Amino acid sequence: MASPARAIVALTFFLGALSVVQLATASAADKLVVYSGRAERLIKPVLDEFQSKSGIQVEVLSSGTTELVNRLQAEGEHTPADVFLTNDAGSLEHARELKLLRSMNMREVERAIPSQFRASDNSWIGLSGRFWIVVYNTTLVKADQIKSLLDLSQPQWKDKIAIPNSGSEYLQAGVSVIKATFGDERTKQFLQGLKTNAGAQVYQKSSQIVEAVAKGQVAVGIVNHYYIYRHLAAQPTSPIAALMPDQQEGGMGAIMNVSGIGVTRASKHVDNAKLLIEFLVAQAGQKLFADLDKEYPLHSDVKADPALVDRHTFRTAPVPLARLAELREPTLTLIEQVGLH
Amino acid sequence: MATAKRFNAPSLLQWIGLITVACLVLPTSYIIYVALTAAPAVWSRLWSTRIPELLWNTLSLATSVAVTTCMLGVSLALIMVRYEFPGRRIWEWAIVLPLAMPTYVLAYVYAHLFGTGGPAEQWWQAFMGSEARLLSPHSFAGVTLIMALDTFPFVYLLTRSALLTLNVSFEEVARACGVSPWATLWRVILPLIRPAIAAGLALVIVYVVSDFGAVSLLRYQTLTYAVYQQMTGRYDQSAASILSLLLVVMALVFLVTERWGRRRSRFYQTSGRYRTPTRRLGGPVKAVLITTYVLLVFGTAFGIPAFMLIHWSLTSVSQGALDARFFGFVWNSSVLSALAAGSAVLIGLPLAYLASRRPSRLNIACLQAAYAGYALPGPVTALAVLLLFTHFVPALYGSVVVLVVAYVLHFIPVGLQSLEPALQQVTPNVEEVARTLGCTTRQTFRRVTLPLIQNGCITASVLVFLQTMKELPATLLLRPVGFDTLAIRVWLEASEEYYQLAAPSALLIVLLSVPALLLLVSKDWRGRHQGVVT
Repeated sequence: MASPARAIVALTFFLGALSVVQLATASAADKLVVYSGRAERLIKPVLDEFQSKSGIQVEVLSSGTTELVNRLQAEGEHTPADVFLTNDAGSLEHARELKLLRSMNMREVERAIPSQFRASDNSWIGLSGRFWIVVYNTTLVKADQIKSLLDLSQPQWKDKIAIPNSGSEYLQAGVSVIKATFGDERTKQFLQGLKTNAGAQVYQKSSQIVEAVAKGQVAVGIVNHYYIYRHLAAQPTSPIAALMPDQQEGGMGAIMNVSGIGVTRASKHVDNAKLLIEFLVAQAGQKLFADLDKEYPLHSDVKADPALVDRHTFRTAPVPLARLAELREPTLTLIEQVGLH
Repeated sequence: MATAKRFNAPSLLQWIGLITVACLVLPTSYIIYVALTAAPAVWSRLWSTRIPELLWNTLSLATSVAVTTCMLGVSLALIMVRYEFPGRRIWEWAIVLPLAMPTYVLAYVYAHLFGTGGPAEQWWQAFMGSEARLLSPHSFAGVTLIMALDTFPFVYLLTRSALLTLNVSFEEVARACGVSPWATLWRVILPLIRPAIAAGLALVIVYVVSDFGAVSLLRYQTLTYAVYQQMTGRYDQSAASILSLLLVVMALVFLVTERWGRRRSRFYQTSGRYRTPTRRLGGPVKAVLITTYVLLVFGTAFGIPAFMLIHWSLTSVSQGALDARFFGFVWNSSVLSALAAGSAVLIGLPLAYLASRRPSRLNIACLQAAYAGYALPGPVTALAVLLLFTHFVPALYGSVVVLVVAYVLHFIPVGLQSLEPALQQVTPNVEEVARTLGCTTRQTFRRVTLPLIQNGCITASVLVFLQTMKELPATLLLRPVGFDTLAIRVWLEASEEYYQLAAPSALLIVLLSVPALLLLVSKDWRGRHQGVVT
């Protein structure tokens, strides 16, 4: 037999054996596996801090939030994940409904996090708050031109706005709140307007939207608030600003969501997971977690980053976080009827 | 010409082939099952909103990329094989280098350079005024160019090797009969190398249709991108499955057509009077023109992006990007790619052998079925594999094995595309001689066929290795915890707009791919190949 062919066979079997060995040594004792729906960069420093404090080996898998819910569901009781961390309360609530999470009754949590930011049975716990708001280019737009998110569906914004794609959990949650507030007809008109006005400016990542607004490619974008501050922290002279929409008399209020944490039902390291939660809801952990991503801490004694709009100066839309899960399917139907990308 | 001999009794090989195909077809069938059992409401909603647009986007992109790569690949192959010009020996392999550059890397480099406010636009506006715009990398033409620059070496490689093994006598006869050089090209050479061009274009089209990296970064809505969006944005996978079903149907129609076209034109090298064509020495004007053309293609497809990657890498390395984690990613990528390459060749060989030596309806159908995996988009392959494994072999779930299975499913056609022509080029006469001299079928395969197709096997494993190294969506969805690859790192960093941080991983993918690629075009390889044929 020709020698290269033999080499291929040998190499394949060697590597195959190697990967099996790797598989066997993979399940160490004192560790914690985290599935994270938020970008690795924004979660790793916090987990590293926890790892050095507790001595527990933390492994992270960063991916899309919905993707991870699907993965948890597919893996079922075989999942290697102990903890599920996301940037959307709706996804956590959905995971709870699928019985993927376990209820965690901890005094530390009840003391630190107000009950509206937790699941009814504490199977998920909010860690920080984020708002779906408007970013605008200060050379192209004046702040008083926009009062409400719904204004952006007006014809005057044709080819001037950038939006996230419809797979984004922020957009789905945002539209859910609008739907709960204004009903199907108004929401449909709003989405139709957004689709027409955005055209090809539909982005996978919110950071790209902020980038496009900063470059003047578009005048206005809809993003989570922290993308704006992250961009400004890196480029302080960038001509962009945040606008808290729907604060007018009788307005809906800003759309809020939380990032949160849940412990999987299949977890074999529940004690370790408990330690992580204790760490994250404590004052120091709250400050670290929120500031890293320029979010609002949920612990009432912890102050937000001073660069952010003061939390006490604006109102929030009064739609309970847990409702985001049940609103999601009908919202997706609306989004698909309109044909948003 | 002699046709292959038929064998009637189902042999061990036959069983291996059947079982392999059953395993390969299982995930595809699962997707089809989910799609067909989806609620009619989902179907009608998709038909009235997304499908027409997505179909048009996908088909028009595939067509325009195919036309562009055909022009680039064939012209470059003709230049390299038929002309002598300064640096020809270097260009001959250098022009293949874009294959080492993943589409998403090319896409992110050009999205940065030519995007709004990017360096190229600023430079252009300095000359043309502040309102001037360049061709946007996000436009149809921009996406076409980026995809074509990345995939034309498929056409180039296969066309070139066909030209090198083409008997120059045909051409000389035409010329002796007074046919002009151009007419010889159109009426003799191109028809003879048509199977190679078709095989190259088939690779390109399937590649474009199932690409995820570039279209996602350039925000060009194709079916595959839509599948990924549906999968990662929805809990319900029926919409993703329906869109995937369309892709599978498209792939099947395409592959059947391509195969039908190739079966009508099967050529064997009747050996004995084989000679290498002599290279023409053009004048200085021709040399300059040729060099400019080659330089332009090489520069845009590889030179400029590679330069940007090196530039960005140096910046981020000086900031400490090369830590222990980074080397972990390197190891993960290498192991996965080598495993996938070896497995794909071992699994593909029986299929290709059966289809070419015992071309019964069943065996050809088996081979066709094996091709389906490639056009099945990465994300869908991933989901199907994930569900199958969690259902039947949960113990293996979350291991490297699952990922390798997905890779093999996805990339076995890449291997088959090289194994098949290799087997077809070996005339069955040689094997029949071995049989008449008393060798058994098995001995014939080991002592005659295998040495003859050895180069095809090497090409196959190199191509699979390269593809795996670059693979993105299936790796994203199936990677075990703590098993990030270089491709994943590039994607994670680039999609967060950290262009510089993405560069070291991207550069390393390119660097690791280069030696493997060089194997493809090395002179030694070609020499031995010819030695075998003559």
